[in-house]
Amino acid sequence: MTRWERSVPVYGVPVITRGFWAMLALIVVGLVLTAIREVVGLGGIVSGMSDPYAWGLWKTFNVMVLTGLGSGGFAVGIAAWIFNRKKLHSVMRVALLTSLLAYWTGLAMLGIDVGRPWNFYWVVWPFTWNLRSPLLEIAVCIMLYATVPLFLENLPPLFEYIIYEFPSFRGVAEFCEGALKKVYPVVIGLAYILPIMHQSSLGALMILGGNRVNTLWQTPFLPLIYVWAAAFLGYNCVSICLLLAKLAWKRDVDPEVMAEMNKLTVWIVYSWTAFRFLDILVRGKILHVFTDGFYSLLFLTETALILGSAYVLSTEKGKKLGTMFLAHVCCATGGMIYRLSPTTLAFQAKPGATYFPSAIEFIVSITFIAIGVLVYLIAVKKLAILPGSNADWTKMAKYEEQVKPGIQLTGYAPVEH
Amino acid sequence: MAMTRREAFKNLAKGSLPILAAGCVSAGLPEVAHAEEENVAPKGALGLLYDATKCVGCKSCMVKCSEYNDLQPDTRQDGIHQAPPALNYFTKNIIKLYRTADGSDHSYFKQQCMHCIDPSCVTACMFGGLRKDVDTGVVWWLGSKCVGCRYCEVACGFHIPAFTWDCFNPKIVKCELCRDHIAKGGKQPGCTEVCPTNAVIYGKREDLLKEAKSRIAANPGKYFEQRVYGEHEAGGTQVLYLSRVGFDKIGLPDIGEASIPHGLHYSHMLYKWMALPLALFAGMVFFAGKNFKDHSHHLVEDQKKTGLRPQL
Repeated sequence: MTRWERSVPVYGVPVITRGFWAMLALIVVGLVLTAIREVVGLGGIVSGMSDPYAWGLWKTFNVMVLTGLGSGGFAVGIAAWIFNRKKLHSVMRVALLTSLLAYWTGLAMLGIDVGRPWNFYWVVWPFTWNLRSPLLEIAVCIMLYATVPLFLENLPPLFEYIIYEFPSFRGVAEFCEGALKKVYPVVIGLAYILPIMHQSSLGALMILGGNRVNTLWQTPFLPLIYVWAAAFLGYNCVSICLLLAKLAWKRDVDPEVMAEMNKLTVWIVYSWTAFRFLDILVRGKILHVFTDGFYSLLFLTETALILGSAYVLSTEKGKKLGTMFLAHVCCATGGMIYRLSPTTLAFQAKPGATYFPSAIEFIVSITFIAIGVLVYLIAVKKLAILPGSNADWTKMAKYEEQVKPGIQLTGYAPVEH
Repeated sequence: MAMTRREAFKNLAKGSLPILAAGCVSAGLPEVAHAEEENVAPKGALGLLYDATKCVGCKSCMVKCSEYNDLQPDTRQDGIHQAPPALNYFTKNIIKLYRTADGSDHSYFKQQCMHCIDPSCVTACMFGGLRKDVDTGVVWWLGSKCVGCRYCEVACGFHIPAFTWDCFNPKIVKCELCRDHIAKGGKQPGCTEVCPTNAVIYGKREDLLKEAKSRIAANPGKYFEQRVYGEHEAGGTQVLYLSRVGFDKIGLPDIGEASIPHGLHYSHMLYKWMALPLALFAGMVFFAGKNFKDHSHHLVEDQKKTGLRPQL
């Protein structure tokens, strides 16, 4: 049985593969289309958006859904650092990297989606802030989170890379690492409060949609349900990344850590579902669950995917890696549908109005996902992100020492503080 | 007394924190006060009263609206006629016709911004790109504060704000009650100025509401539900409607009496004084600090055993 003791880079695998070139080609196409959007505006062939459906894929999916999927950084982090679930420290780096990429690509999409981005500089001038606006809260918190705590949390693997690979900068890197350690508790405090605030405000956005958001989703508690969904989506995403690493690079899986992740996923999903039904029950809308045509079907699909997957994870069958992987994928799919529903699927903007994304919207949306994936793949191969055992590290060290003579990856004596 | 640089920074931080905190709180105060006294129109609230029974559908108001607001004619349908299909970035004001399939019943109706007393779009707007005039209650757009996020369009239950989709420098276009024209000395908005039947009239909201109610009293049974649309809808609007046919038939949604931003009441309570977020933050830093110490200790122990550099 493998135990995850420390993060180990994926070694002996080329960074530049055929998949790499394919993604790069897609990214180039997507960036050209983005440039076209900047010149001609959002209308015409660029997007399927219209005055009634003023928000399209770029905001509703790349920002509102994918930052939910990238919530591992705070969802797993709170369990590890605040509730002292020590086993989870081993997967924190994966969680933090996925969060960073989801947030940064999401922010880039936001910048492309808004019509007058040059006015965004007001965000640094608090006297113009409209404190009643949920979007203001999101803008300030997301910017702050992505550029400060989340960024700082992702630095240690980079420092280590410099320490091992560039001995002449070693002193600087070690100094920075030490400085970061000094402020780390405050950094992680910020890294958890900010996402709790803006992930819930993402739900609060659609409260202003009023009764045009279907009653099964529209509730004063939409912010709470939305951030709670982000929590289990974060666990899904991290688990999927870990299991894919097993599939792609035959990385060993620590069953105990996975069991811990699954247990937490299951409890978050159970409490989320219970609260959601309680809310619908108290508002007296429980019959809508079965009698509202398409919306009932959508609601039941979400619930079945999420709750069914959680149930599978809680059984013995869920311990088999294949089943576990499928369960997390289904759970994430259900959660993503939930996060998309208030803005898109369950939002009747205006009688008769419809929205379907244009080809350009799809391509640009996928482009920014591809950028995230590409950076992820480079990062896990160059930096110590994915968890492994001490033995894995020693094996990696032997390999690297042959390739790069003079590199020191083992034999560090502890420094007394 | 001599102070080390470190102490100086410490004291600076101690001194500036309360000031920062006070700044945040005082910036929040007027907003909180505003939230509590919502649904009261400003004293000088201006508006329109549109009586659908008087409208003959001549569309003069649309022409005058374009003139006063410098709007290009929307000829996109056939290249010849000014024929906007709905409110859009060429069109701040539109006359439409409701007609049953067999022609047994019909009514013209006018659409433009309702100038809500508690506007959802103004609540939505991040930096005050859409703002409600303190004196007149007119909701207007300030381009220098608009990011083009289009949250106003999502938030507006009346489907009013329009976005210039085909432009790299887009704008939000909506009725501003001819605010600029009146500032230049105009007496009233274009639509009320030209209306040949006085189907739409301009004035203070309270006067218009009185006028509407007196029309209902003078013509019992004439008006739908004997009431004024906009008196209570969405927390009250400054544009008021009278109609013979059902309001839902003439594009006025059944939006309820609570103002839409009122739905954010609970969320705003959680953020009051920033107390809850700050308390949560403090609690988390405390536990994180405690657990971080344990974890660092564990890392050093680990290094003694393995000789591998500890990872944060």
